[in-house]
Amino acid sequence: MVDAIDSSGASAGKPPVANLWQGILPALLLMGAFFIVPIGYMVGLSFAAPGSDGPTLANYENFFANERFTDALGRSLLMAGSAVAVASAIAYPLAYFLTFAVSRKRRLALLFLLIAPFWTSFTIRAFSWQLVLSDSGVVAYWLGKALGGPVSLGILYTMAASVFGLALFGVMLITLMLFSVMATIDERLLEANRDLGGGELRGFFEVVLPLSLPGWVVGAVLTFIICVGDYAVPTLLGGGFKPVLAQLMLSTLKGTYDLSMAATFAVILVLVVLIAAFPLSLLRNQTRLLQ
Amino acid sequence: MIAGSGVATRGALGILFATVAAVIYLPIIVMIVFSFNSGRYQVMPFREFTFGWYRRTFQDVQYPEGFANSVAIASAVSVTATAIAFICAYSLVNSKFPGKTAVALFVLAPLAVPLILIGISLRIYFVSIGFEPSLALVYVGQVLYVMPLAVLNIRNRIAQIPKSQEEAAWALGASRIRSIIEIVVPSCRYSIAATLIITFTFAFDEFVIAYFLTNFSITLPIKIWTTLVTGFDPAINAVGVMVFAFSIALGIVAQALFMRKDRRS
Repeated sequence: MVDAIDSSGASAGKPPVANLWQGILPALLLMGAFFIVPIGYMVGLSFAAPGSDGPTLANYENFFANERFTDALGRSLLMAGSAVAVASAIAYPLAYFLTFAVSRKRRLALLFLLIAPFWTSFTIRAFSWQLVLSDSGVVAYWLGKALGGPVSLGILYTMAASVFGLALFGVMLITLMLFSVMATIDERLLEANRDLGGGELRGFFEVVLPLSLPGWVVGAVLTFIICVGDYAVPTLLGGGFKPVLAQLMLSTLKGTYDLSMAATFAVILVLVVLIAAFPLSLLRNQTRLLQ
Repeated sequence: MIAGSGVATRGALGILFATVAAVIYLPIIVMIVFSFNSGRYQVMPFREFTFGWYRRTFQDVQYPEGFANSVAIASAVSVTATAIAFICAYSLVNSKFPGKTAVALFVLAPLAVPLILIGISLRIYFVSIGFEPSLALVYVGQVLYVMPLAVLNIRNRIAQIPKSQEEAAWALGASRIRSIIEIVVPSCRYSIAATLIITFTFAFDEFVIAYFLTNFSITLPIKIWTTLVTGFDPAINAVGVMVFAFSIALGIVAQALFMRKDRRS
C-alpha cells in the first residue's frame, strides 16, 4: 500500500520519524522514578537495621522468628488461596453458562449485570457486606424469623467473611477472563464431541476446560495477587485481632514508624507476588490476554 | 449461537447465575434500603422512610471536602495518565525495537501488583528523602495505578486505525505531529474519552494508595474509611449509595462510548 502512494518523493508515505520509541519514555520515566526506585529503596532498607553498619539479615530473622509475623503471612496466603479456589469453582460454570448457554444478546446484558457493582469502591462494597453478614444484619434477621428464634451467624470478623468478600470479587474477574477465552473456542469442536456421542460433561472436560485454562491462569493469578495484598476487606470483614500481612504493614508504618521493618514486610509481599505471577510466564503464546 | 447446551444443564447454570447475582446485589440493596431508614442502628425491621441521612451528608463539612479533593485529584490523575498513555500506546504500536514486548509488559506491571505495595513503597521512599505524605503524592501514586489501564484501552484502538490514512497525510507533507493531531486523535476520540472517564473513576474510588500517602488530608474514600472504623454513622449508607450511583453512572457512560467506537470502526 505504501508503494502505491510512493511516487511523488523518496520519503512520501513513510513516517517522517522512523522509530518512535522516544514516545514510550514518559511512561518509562514515571515507572522508573515512582515504581522501580521506591521498591529498590525499600529492598535496600529491609537489609538495614538499627545498630548495624553494613547490610544485615536482622529484619528477616526477626520476621521469621516472630510468630505474629509468620502467622500474618500464612493468613494472607490462606485467605487469597481460598478466595481463588472458591471463586474458580463458581466462575467456571458461570463462564460456561455465559458462553455456551445464553444467546448473544442476553450475554452482554448478563455480563454487565455481573460487572456493574464492581465499578464502585472496594471499601463501599466491603461495608455493604457488613450489613448483610453481621449478627444484627439482614441474613441473621431473616433466618431468625424463619427459625423462630435469635440467630447468631458468627461470620463477621472471621477469615471466612474476608474470603467471602474477596471471592465475590474473584468470581467477577475470573469469569471475565474465562469468558474472553471461551468465546474464542471453535464450536465445531463441541459439535464433533456430540457427533461422536460425547455428553455435555465430556465436552466440558475434554474441550472447554483445556482450551480455557490460560484464561483461568490469568484470572486466578490476578485475583490471588490483588487479594494477598488487600487491606480493606480483611479489616472491615475479617477484623483486626488476627491481622494479615497488609494490616501489619500499615500498623507498623503508621504506628511504630519502624520503616525498615515495614520495608521488610513489603519485600516479602513482593516475593510472594513474584512467585504467584510465575505461571503467567508459562503462557508465552497467550500473552495476548494480558495485552 | 447456542452450542446446544442441554435444557437441564442450562436450567441449573441459570439458577447458579441468578444466585450469584442475588448474592452480589443483596448487600447493595440492603445499603440502599437502610439509607432511607430513620432508625439509628442498622437493624431490621425498617422504621420510617427518611431523606435525613442524605441531608446530613451535605451538612457535614468533611464529606464535601473529601469529595472536592477526590474530584480534583482524580481529574488530574485521569488527564495525566491518559496523556502519557496515549503517547506511549501510539509509540508502542508504531515502533519496532528489540525487547519491545518486555517494555510493553513492564509498563503494564502495576496492574499485577497489590496497591498496598505502590502505597507503601512511595511513602517509605518519599518520607526518607524528606517529603511529608500529601495529596500530591496520592496524585503520583494513582497515576501509576491507572496508567496501565489507559495504555491497554488506547493501544487496542490505535492498532485498529488503518495505517493508510496516516501514510496519505505524510505523502502530502504532513509532519508526524500533525498526522497524530489530525488523524489519530480524532479516530480515537471515543476511546480517549472513555479512558478519561475510566481512569477518573478508578482514581476517585481508590482508597489504599491514598490512605498510605496522606497523614491528615481527606479524600472521600478516606473519609468513608475513618467513619467506618472509628464508630458508626448511619449517614454512611447514604454516602455509599451516592458514591455507588456516581461510579456506576460514569461506568455506563464509558461503556456507551466504547460501544460507539465499536460501531464506527
